[in-house]
Amino acid sequence: MNVTALIDAAKDGILTGSLYALMATGLTLVFGVMDIINVAQGILVIVGAYLSYALSVHFGIDLFLGLLITIPTLFVVGIVIERAFLGRLKGPEKTAMSILVTYAVSLVIEGSLNMIFSVNPVQLHAWYVNKSFVVGGYHFAFIYLAGFALAVVLLSALYYMLYRTRFGVSVRASLADQASAALVGIDVRRVSTICFGIGVAVTAAGGMIYGATTTFNASTSYDLISRLLTIIVLGGMGSLGGAMLAGVLLVFVGNVVGVIAGAVWSTMAYYVLLIIVLLVRPQGLFGKQSARVA
Amino acid sequence: MNRKGKLFRTLGVTSVAAVSLLMMVTASGASSSGPAKGQPVKIGISLSLSGDFSADGQAFKQGYQLWAADVNKTGGLLGHKVVLDIVSDASSPTQVVTNYQKLISTDHVNLTFGPFSSLLTLPAAKAVSRYGYAMIEGAGGAPSVFQAGLHNVFDVALPVANSLVPFAKWITALPKGQRPTTVAYVTSNDPFTQPQLPVAMKIMQPAGIKTVYNKVFPAEVTDFTPIADAVAATKAQVVVLGSTDVPTVSAFMQAFEQSGYTPKVFIATAGPDQGSTFIKAVGAANADGIMVPNSWYGLSAIPASKTMVAEYIKKYGGTPAGVNGDVAEGYAVGQVAAAAVKATGGFDNAKIIKYLHSGVMLQTVLGGAQFNALGMNPKMTAYTFQWQGATGTKFLQISPIGDPNTVKAVFPKPAWGK
Amino acid sequence: MLKTKRLWWVLALGVFAGFPLVVTNPSYQTIAFYSLLYMACAASWNMFSGYSGYIALGSGVFYGSGAFTMALISIHTHMAPGAAMFWLVPVGGLVAAAFAVPLGWIGLRVRRHTFVVITIAFFFIFQNAAINFSFTGGTAGLNLPFITWGFSYYDLPFYYVALGLVIFIVILSAAVRRSRFGLQLMAIRDDEDRALGLGVKVAAVKLTGFTMSAFTIGMAGAVYAMFLGQIYPQFAFDPMFDLSIAMMAFFGGMGTLVGPLVGALILESAQQYLTVNFSNGSLYLILLGGLFLIVFMFMPQGIVVYVRDTVTKKAAREKAAVASIDLAMAEGSET
Repeated sequence: MNVTALIDAAKDGILTGSLYALMATGLTLVFGVMDIINVAQGILVIVGAYLSYALSVHFGIDLFLGLLITIPTLFVVGIVIERAFLGRLKGPEKTAMSILVTYAVSLVIEGSLNMIFSVNPVQLHAWYVNKSFVVGGYHFAFIYLAGFALAVVLLSALYYMLYRTRFGVSVRASLADQASAALVGIDVRRVSTICFGIGVAVTAAGGMIYGATTTFNASTSYDLISRLLTIIVLGGMGSLGGAMLAGVLLVFVGNVVGVIAGAVWSTMAYYVLLIIVLLVRPQGLFGKQSARVA
Repeated sequence: MNRKGKLFRTLGVTSVAAVSLLMMVTASGASSSGPAKGQPVKIGISLSLSGDFSADGQAFKQGYQLWAADVNKTGGLLGHKVVLDIVSDASSPTQVVTNYQKLISTDHVNLTFGPFSSLLTLPAAKAVSRYGYAMIEGAGGAPSVFQAGLHNVFDVALPVANSLVPFAKWITALPKGQRPTTVAYVTSNDPFTQPQLPVAMKIMQPAGIKTVYNKVFPAEVTDFTPIADAVAATKAQVVVLGSTDVPTVSAFMQAFEQSGYTPKVFIATAGPDQGSTFIKAVGAANADGIMVPNSWYGLSAIPASKTMVAEYIKKYGGTPAGVNGDVAEGYAVGQVAAAAVKATGGFDNAKIIKYLHSGVMLQTVLGGAQFNALGMNPKMTAYTFQWQGATGTKFLQISPIGDPNTVKAVFPKPAWGK
Repeated sequence: MLKTKRLWWVLALGVFAGFPLVVTNPSYQTIAFYSLLYMACAASWNMFSGYSGYIALGSGVFYGSGAFTMALISIHTHMAPGAAMFWLVPVGGLVAAAFAVPLGWIGLRVRRHTFVVITIAFFFIFQNAAINFSFTGGTAGLNLPFITWGFSYYDLPFYYVALGLVIFIVILSAAVRRSRFGLQLMAIRDDEDRALGLGVKVAAVKLTGFTMSAFTIGMAGAVYAMFLGQIYPQFAFDPMFDLSIAMMAFFGGMGTLVGPLVGALILESAQQYLTVNFSNGSLYLILLGGLFLIVFMFMPQGIVVYVRDTVTKKAAREKAAVASIDLAMAEGSET
């Protein structure tokens, strides 16, 4: 076994993992507040990547600068989806139905992306994408470090909003118990819409880094959404901290297994990890032990 | 109680409606006979125009179309104008079967040409064999295709297993002092790439080129960084990458550059053969020194190939180096079919199959085509090609050694972007 | 009344049985065959997920297991290619059901929405294993004994076997619906805690339903492998399969007997037809997603329930006009 390779795998795992953590945080926030599983999150990451692609190829706008346009755009996209479809969901089958509805949304987006951008995979390019720094003999790709930094900044901003603002209080109240939140005068409907917008908006940042580090087309979203779902379940659905930890943990484990046993086993590794954790803790690592079954 | 009754009435009405919709379509069978006098001859093809293999699908389509245009310029096949009936299969084996059935039984095509990739060629060939049709193809060269016991498959291209032999011979022929000593083999989990690497290893290992890495990665992976990093960590002097497409090669190149690793020799089983598509994806400067095994390149000296390349450039622009190898393979499929039709004097698939199995040697843009009992074209010569210089227009033959068209290879590979 | 109901079933059966005799074009027979196969799967999925409310998105595990059972046994016992291979269809179902027991035991311990994700995880574990273990042939797949039936006959046996599967699952679902077991499943869907409180052995009931559903899906997978003559792990374990059958069931009407059949018939034949004739997979995705969203917005219970309710309400209104009794209200509250 090669120690350098292991350290590389661990380092990549932490850097890439933070990105997955960011994308998964949006997903788990939406679930916590609304009881909705948004399986369109995967394709929305790809939308974010394609937006950055279009801006940089057609208008010469830098990838990071472009986020100032793509993040608000996706926020609006999220609000539209929520208002058009998800607001209609209610009853005991709400969560299950939300999966099918958001899947239908993602099919429409996937078909449209294929028609607009063709299915030929692309990757985001900028002069700094292939640059790297050497620290202690290890190469750190600039784009991964930038992605890590971006994830940290956005997650901190999210935390600041949740714990230091009035709106954050309403969100946390809704996370804890929607019925009681409504009783104390919180407009749960409005909080839900905005949360969904925020949950989708983070995909713009995630998508940009994802697009700069991997080749993608619309169908890459399937791989992405399966990973994101695994992350939020592993972390405990609705738990923000859990999503973050699980994001890093999962990519880390996948990479290390890839080095030790071969990359063909890394996908399997994290699904097996998930099953093992759920056998011991059915509510996930940081999930609330809930009395209700449904 | 009434409600339930009505529910079933609904079911009845819905199913009757759906079924009668299908029934409106006229019933019909296959036609193995040729087109009537003055009628065009129809050729049925299913290609992946969307889905995983769509870039190759498009290139094959161009090759088929160029061939059809050329045939029609000289009066068509036995006086019949050639019309291509191309449908899309989205790279799905289920869909490809439905497609060829539709081409034969509804569209009444007279001949069928192959889809893209061995994965789809096999189910497609099985389906058309039920109609007694020949499946002439240029992209189904994996061993699994020939092991299925089919009698109607003819692959004009190089059988993939021996593709890397000229490369392995080139590297082992380097003088001892210069010859690299370590090699990393890394391949996608794919029936097209996997059989190629062990053959190369068997030649390189005894010549003192030690295997320091030999791993398979999943075909559906999107983030190649951890795998590429693992390869880079071995500091192998040679990298043999079993890839099926451009994105894989480009991702590895990017990750290598990010980790400051430049192998002395870098060969990928597919991707660099895709001409301008490859150059666009990786950048002309980065392509310098990259190698690929294939049976054809845009500068091929075969006269028919020169004509085809000139026509291609007239129609789509670009340079000879920018022509995708798939174009020539598609074109060659057409040439083989045309030769068989002329020799048998008609469009009877049974006669065509018999003729192609007769051991006759046919000429195509790829070189000679002669099929063995399994439908392979084992006489096809394998070459190794290399991108040279930073302009993205020089795609040259560097092996087999001694061939008049072989030029000196760029070795060691220059640093990335230089 | 019961007679009318039976009459409609018999009529529908007659139409399906007669179809390939009237439409002899093999490409339409193939489309019809796939539609029947998906009808069986959607109805089977519905028998567990639709009745219990536990949405499984990993049914591809059972489809793939059935397909590989057919392939591995027929290859390793050197079976003569031909109709005898159909005997392996129930074996494929049994293997799938055998896998369902441990998977269900693990997966059904968690809450409903976690269950969804667990089934997805199971799916990827199976797909991954099938791709990487060598006995499955890896990505090069497996070649089944090559059946050399001519084109004019080839589809027929497969068509009728698929029709047989549909009949089987319809009878099974109908029996479940009427049984105590079916009521227990539906009690779990409505309120699991309450069902538990009322003494329903929820764990056993759920596991039984899950396993029964896996059985038919496994049989369908075996038929698929035999029909194609060639299977690849990456396509036998197809993630789109899971979502497709769930959407079909919802589209027609989840939890109803007829809904999944109608949904699968419409969606699967539409998919095959659109792809073959318009050669545009992307357009199909947009149409499918769009159609689903329209149905969701305007007929949230699915097409069958919507049509039924509309017809019932209309009939009720007519009656009401005569008898001046607001039957429509009564009908409405009865549900």
